Amino acid sequence: MTHNAVNLQPAFILQHQPYRETSLLLDVLTRDEGRLPLVAKGVRKPQSKTVALLQPFVPLNISAVGKAELKGLSHAEAILPALPLQGLALYCGFYVNELVGRFLHPHDPHPEVFHAYQQCLAQLAENINIQAALRIFELELLEHSGYGLDFGHDADTLQAIDPQQTYRFKIGVGLVADKKGQISGTTLLALAVRDFESPKVQIEAKLLMRTVIDAYLQSKPLKSRAVIQQIVNSDVYG
Amino acid sequence: MSKKGLLGQLIQSFCCLPGVGAKTAQRMVFYVLQRDRQGARRLAELLLLAIDNINYCRQCRTFTEDDLCNVCADAGRDTGLVCIVENPADVWVVEQTGVFKGLYFVLHGRLSPLDGIGPDELGLDLLRRQLSAGGIRELILATNSTVEGEATAFFIGELARKHQVKASRIAHGVPMGGELEFIDSGTLSHAFNDRKVF
Ligand SMILES: [Zn+2]
Repeated sequence: MTHNAVNLQPAFILQHQPYRETSLLLDVLTRDEGRLPLVAKGVRKPQSKTVALLQPFVPLNISAVGKAELKGLSHAEAILPALPLQGLALYCGFYVNELVGRFLHPHDPHPEVFHAYQQCLAQLAENINIQAALRIFELELLEHSGYGLDFGHDADTLQAIDPQQTYRFKIGVGLVADKKGQISGTTLLALAVRDFESPKVQIEAKLLMRTVIDAYLQSKPLKSRAVIQQIVNSDVYG
Repeated sequence: MSKKGLLGQLIQSFCCLPGVGAKTAQRMVFYVLQRDRQGARRLAELLLLAIDNINYCRQCRTFTEDDLCNVCADAGRDTGLVCIVENPADVWVVEQTGVFKGLYFVLHGRLSPLDGIGPDELGLDLLRRQLSAGGIRELILATNSTVEGEATAFFIGELARKHQVKASRIAHGVPMGGELEFIDSGTLSHAFNDRKVF
């Protein structure tokens, strides 16, 4: 499962942290190799050309060598300038990075997730419809990491989703009809076709995705979500 | 390496310092024990004193053993200008240039959602109070040129706008003596976007 080399893979840095005196420890999402932990040796030096590129939201091509689980970055080049994320869109970009880091296992390739990730960042960069961009990415990520939901059928009765009914998420089972459920059948049918036009769908979808994500991440809540909450609640956006 | 015994524990403790791996830690420990016990005693005493006495300046949050740091206590500084930096080391770096005569505000970090570091962890409530108290004309955002540094600058910029205070970002671009050929594309595109009339 660990190949010897990674050769000019399209990639994004999910997270970077200083490592030793002059190196960086990277969590990278590549297109064909999945999430990879990488060490970039000696890049934190004055005059280093690479360190400016090794940041989240820069579309990269990377190469890496080494036989161990932790390969060394041997080459990185920016394919395009960093996606121009600002303000809320940028904070949400960090959230997306955390989600990927939590749902994908290292060395487990998911080209579809990489594609959805690119699409999501492009949408965030346009700064319109941030909510829809996040929801679509969450849906894709859940689906490809094995937590996909069937938005067409009640998971208990296997009956088609009824737009007049309300539903709730039952962990390990799926969506089940419940008179006290907070998600309407209309919303589920809209989610099946990724239609976020209606404000009601947006609100219910956010609630549903949060419930599902939290259920699977149980013990360790998402750190970025708490920070974004803090930012949104600060009087800057009030 | 054994973690037991004083020697092992000491080596482990040195390992927590940035840039010090197991080998360097071992060398340091053996050095002080073999050759400089007096210096080591003084280091230990100073460390204890520093931990007990060095706190954040109540105005700018840089390290100081007084209530106010040297810069904040200096009546000659322009109190209308506040430079926002990530670390106390950055204050020192900017001070070395001698170009800045205003005050500082030290965040002790940057917005880092993946590490759970938000506005509250950076002392931005204190900055907010200083902005609403009036007297600040301009915030100079000198956070690092990383994605997190930019996110932090953006957030504080919004905060300033909210209080009708001008905010400016330090320029990032071609280093002095730098040849274009040797500059990374990120820096170069920054330099292009922030170009000014010549
Ligand atoms: Zn001070």
